[in-house]
Amino acid sequence: MPEQPHDVLDRHRRDAGLSYGELWLRYFELGGMASALELQAIVHGALQTSAHDHDVIAHALNERFAELGGNHPVPYADDPTGP
Amino acid sequence: MNEPDEPQQLRVAMDAADERVVLSVRGEVDSWSAAELSAALDAAIDRRPPSVVVDLAGCEFMGSAGLETIAQGARRLGALGATLEVRSAPPAVLRLARIMGVTRLIEPDAHALRPPSRPTDPLRLHIASRAASPFDAASHALVRTLDAALSTDEVVDMVLHLVVAVARGAVGGADGASVSLRRRGVLTTIAATDRTVSDMDASQYATGQGPCVDASVEGRRFHSASLEDETRWPSFTPSARLLGISAIVSSPLFAQNRPCGALNIYSRRAGAFAPVDRALASLFARETSTVLTSVAAKGDGSSWERFTAALESREDIARAEGVLMDRRGVGKDQAFATLRRSSRRTGVTLRDAAVDVTRSTRRLPPRRGGESSTRIEGSDA
Repeated sequence: MPEQPHDVLDRHRRDAGLSYGELWLRYFELGGMASALELQAIVHGALQTSAHDHDVIAHALNERFAELGGNHPVPYADDPTGP
Repeated sequence: MNEPDEPQQLRVAMDAADERVVLSVRGEVDSWSAAELSAALDAAIDRRPPSVVVDLAGCEFMGSAGLETIAQGARRLGALGATLEVRSAPPAVLRLARIMGVTRLIEPDAHALRPPSRPTDPLRLHIASRAASPFDAASHALVRTLDAALSTDEVVDMVLHLVVAVARGAVGGADGASVSLRRRGVLTTIAATDRTVSDMDASQYATGQGPCVDASVEGRRFHSASLEDETRWPSFTPSARLLGISAIVSSPLFAQNRPCGALNIYSRRAGAFAPVDRALASLFARETSTVLTSVAAKGDGSSWERFTAALESREDIARAEGVLMDRRGVGKDQAFATLRRSSRRTGVTLRDAAVDVTRSTRRLPPRRGGESSTRIEGSDA
């Protein structure tokens, strides 16, 4: 069964070693508007969000991966492969 | 259009002639006056009656602190085998209770259509056990905050999101609400119920005009009953009207007695905000100010510092987005996408990419007084 995009976000969050709180703060720093609880729901796929909001979350994760020496493994909404 | 806020002083009368004790609440119960209601409940409980009735027929406003006070009274009475009944709650209180998920406490008939509550739950009080919606959970966060146990940025965030949700739900005529905070002269939207209100805020920041800007600078409430007839903010008003906004009320927020932002509520209908709605807006703003002050007072903790550092990052990004929107005629989302791609391509953080964009521009958007322009340049730390 293909993996749901929003489950991918939570998997990346765990891989990045970020708590929900840390991810939220990074997302908030980038201008994200969802509350901490909403963000949890979004990364678990329980709450639908816009492509833009998805990209803000993806970028927050990607910056963490960049800090760890990686590239940008979390796809953005407009990537050819999709999020 | 601006009028002073003179909230009705709270009066709680106790009638203990009968076996049960009736507390009649008159005036407004906000974060400050909730202590008086709490004292009255204590006095009533000390009489060990089989039941206490809180009559809200004369209550003009009750904020979350008041609801929590009643909830605490109900818990204490329940522990003593007694009951608490809330009677004649006005519509504004019912709306707030509904949003906070405490309707069973305030509106006993409201759960008639729901499954019966557990028999071991004599007070039908679910404030601690229900977490069905984000608002419920956020209201728990607010309750914790008002208990001065605030510890994390997430709680601040949840509180602000709760405030805008509550303001939209409780203020008659409201279609949306936002919280804007000012740091080093620059305003940013921290929480918004919808895109229309955050776009409206952005337009005010870009033009340096509007009720939110003025409320956050002057520390008093600004109300525009009809943007069609509005003359105070010529650069801002047309864009707000394009967004379908007809009426706005912006109430100042304070941290440690200094104006630091505004609670903004808009309506698509002209004349939507009656005096009572404007007073409600101010009361919400005051409750929010209590939260902000309590956070700011905890200057020792890393929470506030991390939160304000996050705000600075948001401001850097918002400024660059504004530059890109202005320069390329694109929307906010496309401006963010541009920064994101630049960050990925060059291997710098998105915030650094944003600062580069702002630095690269010499042409700044026109701002009232020219003061903000200096701040744009000067705030690159």
